[in-house]
Amino acid sequence: MIMPLTFSPSGQPATVKEIHGKDETKRFLESLGFVVGGPVTVISQMGGNLIVNVKDTRVALSQSMASRIIVHQ
Amino acid sequence: MAITIALAGNPNCGKTTMFNDLTGSNQFVGNWPGVTVEKKEGKLKGHKDVIITDLPGIYSLSPYTLEEVVTRNYLIGEHPDVILNLVDGSNIERNLYLTTQLTEMGIPVVIALNMMDIVKKNGDVIDTKKLSDLLGCQVIETSAVKNEGSMEAAEAAVKMALQGGKTTPQHVFSKPVEDTLDRIGEIADNFIAQENKRWYAVKLFERDEKALESLKLPQGTLAELEKAITSCEEELDDDSESIITNERYNAIAKVIKACVKKKRGGLSTSDKIDRIVTNRFLALPIFAVVMFFVYYISVSTVGDLLTGFTNDTLFGEWISPAVESFLVGIGCADWLTGLIVDGIVGGVGAVLGFVPQMLVLFLMLCALEDCGYMARIAFIMDRIFRRFGLSGKSFIPMLIGSGCGVPGIMASRTIEQDRDRKMTIMTTTFIPCGAKMPIVALIAGALFGGAWWVAPSAYFIGVAAIIISGIILKKTKLFAGDPAPFVMELPQYHLPTVKNVLRGTWERGSSFIKKAGTVILLSSIFVWFTSSFGFVDGTFGMVDDIDASVLASIGSVVAPVFAPLGFGNWQTAVATVLGLVAKEEVVGALGTIYAVAGDALELVEEGAFGELGAIAQHFTALSAYSFLVFNLLCAPCFAAIGAIKREMNNAKWTWFAIGYQTVFAYTMSFMLYQFGLLFTGAAGFSIGTAIAAVILVVYLWLLFRKGYVEKPTRLRSVDTVEA
Repeated sequence: MIMPLTFSPSGQPATVKEIHGKDETKRFLESLGFVVGGPVTVISQMGGNLIVNVKDTRVALSQSMASRIIVHQ
Repeated sequence: MAITIALAGNPNCGKTTMFNDLTGSNQFVGNWPGVTVEKKEGKLKGHKDVIITDLPGIYSLSPYTLEEVVTRNYLIGEHPDVILNLVDGSNIERNLYLTTQLTEMGIPVVIALNMMDIVKKNGDVIDTKKLSDLLGCQVIETSAVKNEGSMEAAEAAVKMALQGGKTTPQHVFSKPVEDTLDRIGEIADNFIAQENKRWYAVKLFERDEKALESLKLPQGTLAELEKAITSCEEELDDDSESIITNERYNAIAKVIKACVKKKRGGLSTSDKIDRIVTNRFLALPIFAVVMFFVYYISVSTVGDLLTGFTNDTLFGEWISPAVESFLVGIGCADWLTGLIVDGIVGGVGAVLGFVPQMLVLFLMLCALEDCGYMARIAFIMDRIFRRFGLSGKSFIPMLIGSGCGVPGIMASRTIEQDRDRKMTIMTTTFIPCGAKMPIVALIAGALFGGAWWVAPSAYFIGVAAIIISGIILKKTKLFAGDPAPFVMELPQYHLPTVKNVLRGTWERGSSFIKKAGTVILLSSIFVWFTSSFGFVDGTFGMVDDIDASVLASIGSVVAPVFAPLGFGNWQTAVATVLGLVAKEEVVGALGTIYAVAGDALELVEEGAFGELGAIAQHFTALSAYSFLVFNLLCAPCFAAIGAIKREMNNAKWTWFAIGYQTVFAYTMSFMLYQFGLLFTGAAGFSIGTAIAAVILVVYLWLLFRKGYVEKPTRLRSVDTVEA
């Protein structure tokens, strides 16, 4: 199933399929470890903002940022 | 010959701890040229001619953040002798991303594989020998927190530099990319130095703006490059920057597969804690409980005990009497004894009375930071702060600012976006700092009979001022646009280490102590002199009546400005102006001027409000509250203004910040006092009321008008992202 990271159920690993946007934000996400084909797991959610486990680190993302990351499960 | 080691690594990889380990107290702190990114340098312990430069924590060498640009410029421009690259072994994959870029720069690299204690505790195994072969540089296991291996790593780096060793990157990208990089190398061969060839080839492939700028390639070469890049992009169906990113991660994945064996699966302990602490229902209650304990301990119990000791025993019983009897003993003149005992020792001592309380607060905030909870607080508060135009990261400066504004303002450095950071700097000092609390306590105790609501109302006013300012400023052209999307790496939870917490506490607390030793010392002397001397019958000399003093004449000039706020006499004017020196001086000055028996600041700290009647009789409840509001919100003390100037790094912005704060404070007090007069029936409708009404209308307009909207081009790019 393909969906934005914001809809990914917490605790279940997913794979990054696509990252929208062609700007600085995308680069920053990539350098943090969000790359196409790489695994991500949502740890917890708080009002749309997420804490995500990616490449063994925890990254906090706001909703607008997380919705750019498309994953499949 | 002196050797320079550049210490590079990701944020949260233990770089600061290692830097402190390696240099001890032998450090110089400054800024990188032209930016407010901190630059730390130090001499390696036991090596006179080895200098370690601590580079900012970065994830990559792309040109997008200030920290990345600073690091790149330094590595290319200054060409350090060797790079000591810190790699966090517990998330080695992401950390090696930077390593693959560092090894391309033509500077020898030594890797310190840090956090090995955590790696071992997790049950993971890393084959460092193999890792070293695959990366093409020496790898040394370290655990900076436990001070294991740091020195070996530094010495290996020194050896590497002395032997003139070279690092050749071992990672190879896929064939089409390597072919294109070779082609780029040929095209631009005449323009780039041989040692940097790989680095520039990759950067040109990525169309890196800064690299293109610095090389100044002719038009023909640029066109040729573009052709090569585009054909590779078409072949791989992606943009060149993403291609390189993916290639790097692929290369790293191969390295990891060959030399790292991971034991665990599922959630780590840190993740399990996060599931509870940042849970959507529990996060705020847990946060409230933690904050309650932090302030309860620092203000009510331990802090209070220590403050009492400093004031009563240390200064009251030991230092002051000792100094006085010494001065009397050596036959010192009365006026000089007065200056030293009452002016200097009394003034500086009363200020130092806050230090223990503040240190306890900072100690606990540093512990929260070191264990990893502070980063979560920023995450939790982000949603709330976003509503009035600030990001969650703005909350940390404000939290620290409740102790002292100077480290609070300095903490705003972690906010990447310029706009958000400036707004945070401007509003942080609205939160009552430790030094403003005596003013609150004085007004609450001496004028409101110790009413319970006065102190909380001071915090409420501070928070309201931040919210109102956030909304108003966000609608101006200067600050328009959404706060930067929140992205932040959360460090793994771990027990705070004594060394880190104490160091952090000292770094924050020392600015306050320094202030007591310098500015407050001078101003104590100034107040004492100007209030003790004056012109009587045309001759200058010591005066008994303070109304005839120099201080009174200065105050009378300023006083009319404050008349519409309800405190237009020279005494309060002087107290307010002296508040710029240090906010606690407001209370001290009122005490001196109104001839309170004893030190007013100490009386407030002891809660002896009965003896402060001399101050209270000059205020009404309304004018006192107006006085309080003005002093809480107006320009902060000189030390904090200095911090604003350093962080803004721009005179115009500094003046704008201070001007805004003062105008905001003045208009708020104006409205409060004028409407207060009308509603309490103390006065009828007057010109003052009319002006207050106009101010109110202006504020309402500023709050509810339609804000400035950025140019549509920018909006479109955002739209396409969300579509």
